Amino acid sequence: MTAPSATSRRRWRRFRYPDSLYRFAALLLFLVLVFYALDYLNVHLERLADVGGRVAVFLAERYYPPDLAYVTDADYLAYVGETMQMALLATVFGLALAVPLAWFAAFNVSPSRRFFYPLGRFSITGARAIHETIWAILFVNLLGFGPFAGVLALTMFSIGFAGKLMAEEVEGIDRGQVDAIRATGAGPVQVLIYGVIPQVKVAWTGIAIYTWDVAFRAATIVGFFGAGGMGWYLRRTIEGLETERTAAIILTILALVMASEALSAWARARVMNR
Amino acid sequence: MRTTTSYATSVRHALTESVGLAGRTAIEVGSGRTGPGAAGDAVLRIDGLCARYGKAGDFVLKNIDLEVGADDFVAIIGPSGAGKSTLIRCINRLVEPVAGEILLKGTNLTALSQRQLRRHRRRMGMIFQEFNLVERMSVMDNVLSGRLGYVGVARSLFKLFPRADIEAALDILEKVGLGEFVDKRADQLSGGQRQRVGIARALIQDPEILLVDEPTSSLDPKIARDVMTLIRDMSRDLGVPVLCNIHDLQLALEFADRVVGVQGGEKMFEGRASELDRRALHSIYAGEVL
Amino acid sequence: MAAARGSSEGVRRSDAIVARRRRDRMRRYGLYLLAFVILAWVFHSTVVEATDWARIGSLGSVLETLGRFLPPDLSLAPQLVQPMIETFMMALLGTLLGAFLSVPVIWLGAYNIAPFAPVSYAIGRGLMTVSRSVHELVWALIFVAAVGLGALPGILAVAFRSIGFIAKITAEAIENIDRRSLEAIYAAGGNRLQVLRYAVMPQVLPTFTSVVIFEWDINIRRASIMGLVGAGGLGLTFYRQMAMFNYAGVTSVIVAILVLIGIGEVVSYLLRRRMI
Repeated sequence: MTAPSATSRRRWRRFRYPDSLYRFAALLLFLVLVFYALDYLNVHLERLADVGGRVAVFLAERYYPPDLAYVTDADYLAYVGETMQMALLATVFGLALAVPLAWFAAFNVSPSRRFFYPLGRFSITGARAIHETIWAILFVNLLGFGPFAGVLALTMFSIGFAGKLMAEEVEGIDRGQVDAIRATGAGPVQVLIYGVIPQVKVAWTGIAIYTWDVAFRAATIVGFFGAGGMGWYLRRTIEGLETERTAAIILTILALVMASEALSAWARARVMNR
Repeated sequence: MRTTTSYATSVRHALTESVGLAGRTAIEVGSGRTGPGAAGDAVLRIDGLCARYGKAGDFVLKNIDLEVGADDFVAIIGPSGAGKSTLIRCINRLVEPVAGEILLKGTNLTALSQRQLRRHRRRMGMIFQEFNLVERMSVMDNVLSGRLGYVGVARSLFKLFPRADIEAALDILEKVGLGEFVDKRADQLSGGQRQRVGIARALIQDPEILLVDEPTSSLDPKIARDVMTLIRDMSRDLGVPVLCNIHDLQLALEFADRVVGVQGGEKMFEGRASELDRRALHSIYAGEVL
Repeated sequence: MAAARGSSEGVRRSDAIVARRRRDRMRRYGLYLLAFVILAWVFHSTVVEATDWARIGSLGSVLETLGRFLPPDLSLAPQLVQPMIETFMMALLGTLLGAFLSVPVIWLGAYNIAPFAPVSYAIGRGLMTVSRSVHELVWALIFVAAVGLGALPGILAVAFRSIGFIAKITAEAIENIDRRSLEAIYAAGGNRLQVLRYAVMPQVLPTFTSVVIFEWDINIRRASIMGLVGAGGLGLTFYRQMAMFNYAGVTSVIVAILVLIGIGEVVSYLLRRRMI
């Protein structure tokens, strides 16, 4: 143990210069940004306080009790079925397209870093950045009302969602196994099938289940813009100011989504534990 | 949790019958049960301590009696699973005992409510086997957290410790040889250095006793010796008695004044280190290869 | 060595393997075929039957419509600045509000620190699930109805949508912490709150910050559609351009959204590097 000096460090500060200055400046800048944003958006913080109360009262008055008879109607249930079918198709097609795109977009195994890699990255990011409802509106405009537009919109959504996750999985694999396959003289597709896919199979299955779950969530809404599914009923009841029916529809959406999430969580756990 | 007298007594009686002699099969060698030092009354007194895990499990501690005087360095030895760790943890009630009394300078710790217990925990400094530091916090903050029993909740939320505490922390860190490491993150330190932080944290509480649970099990032999030396020196410096679990018999004999042997939850031996003979060792470590 | 016996043994074994492989392959192909049939049926009943093929016209007319989306209408650019800023800020404020509101939900929903577990645990997890199951558009509709048009309902919708994910990830992190540092703080005489502040928080803060930055990135995307139902941002511009059939303008709006997302990705990457 070294002998302590006579004037040992008696002064200790938690934040020392210049770090303290940077931290303070960053915090100040951040607060300025927040308050500027509030002002720019015309948000009055005082109003925010009683928003909570108003929302609660509002919901209680107009949205309760929910009109449950409306949602047990056969027509509505047919639309619910349509929603599920849309989600299924979108997941299948989306995944089918996401697999090659994920391959392109994974830096370590991309067949061509000059061409395919940027192609893959941009496709996935582009599909992801555009919200599924915007896709829905675009496709409805192109193809008319109905589930066709919805399936395509949700497919784009799935490509974006699954593609990113799958590419990240691929980028995390063991290089050695891939090189071994490549050393046998296999072509790029064979390397993919025998070197890459076995390593990511389990994770990809989990992603596939997750994608279905999320796609179903989105599918319940795209109907709002005419792209098929129960969202259309939501639109109708809101425009007709039939608030109890709106509440009932939201509740069914909630119930179905929660059921699908429970199901997908269970399925993913089973896949992971295999 | 308060141990109701009737329940405690019945438990103790049950154990007495099953064990045989008055709950104590201690081999009294030489001066037998050495009392606390000449300084006067015991700092810590344990009477008939019993503990079990779960409502129906086996008893991990059976009727333990123990005293620690103001000058003592008491080592608890025994094979693994003998209940040493449970014993130490019962004292500050990290593990709740089922029966018995624990008196810290007259205060019965087993009878305290949770709120009162917190106030008395700060009187006991604890040093852990696996250091139990907060990895992402700096050495200074880890040491300061030893003062949490004294600092108000509001101030502690913002890490506003009084100047005196910071000075004390710097002082103690110098003494344990970590003066250069004050602002380093705990996970950047070696094992020995981390244990020193743990020691500093326990000492800054201004404790009346040091409870030490296997301080060297996670350390290399040379570092282990350094750490034990540090604990002994600091305790003498500050006049704080030590109750220490040690797995390593050599270290126990080298550093402790008194030794208590525990086996199967029972106290098998108590006396000076020099009085620990073959027979005593056998009774403690029966079955274990020394 | 009885070569004849050895080889017939080997032949029998390899026959068995080949037969088993064929059976497995048949079974697999059978499943694929079944899946394909189901898919085809679903496709038919959903897409083929319910689509007005006449209205779509030929592939040519579709491509012609697509062509009207390009090139993007550059004259729209100055009109896009304000909504872009608005969208960006909605995402920022919404995420912050969501992070702030998620703290009590985390407290309730993390099994090892929850006050009256298992009741509070169930409540906490329930709140998280509701937050994540209600689509941001539905949240927006609720808040527009409750507080009127403008950016505020958008902020609230983004916030309430984010609470669930932030809380879920952070609660799971709390449930996985190293309990030993908790013990030390308790032993020094700390109370529950101090244990939270000194042992739990330092371990969990990096996870929390990481997930908040992650959500902020996603929220830019969510904020971009709030305007579709009157809750501020680029969504309104999109809607208007669509309503005017100015397809080139629509493309401009989409480009604006892509730019915002790009900025978001860059900023979140930088933040992550510096803070974690």
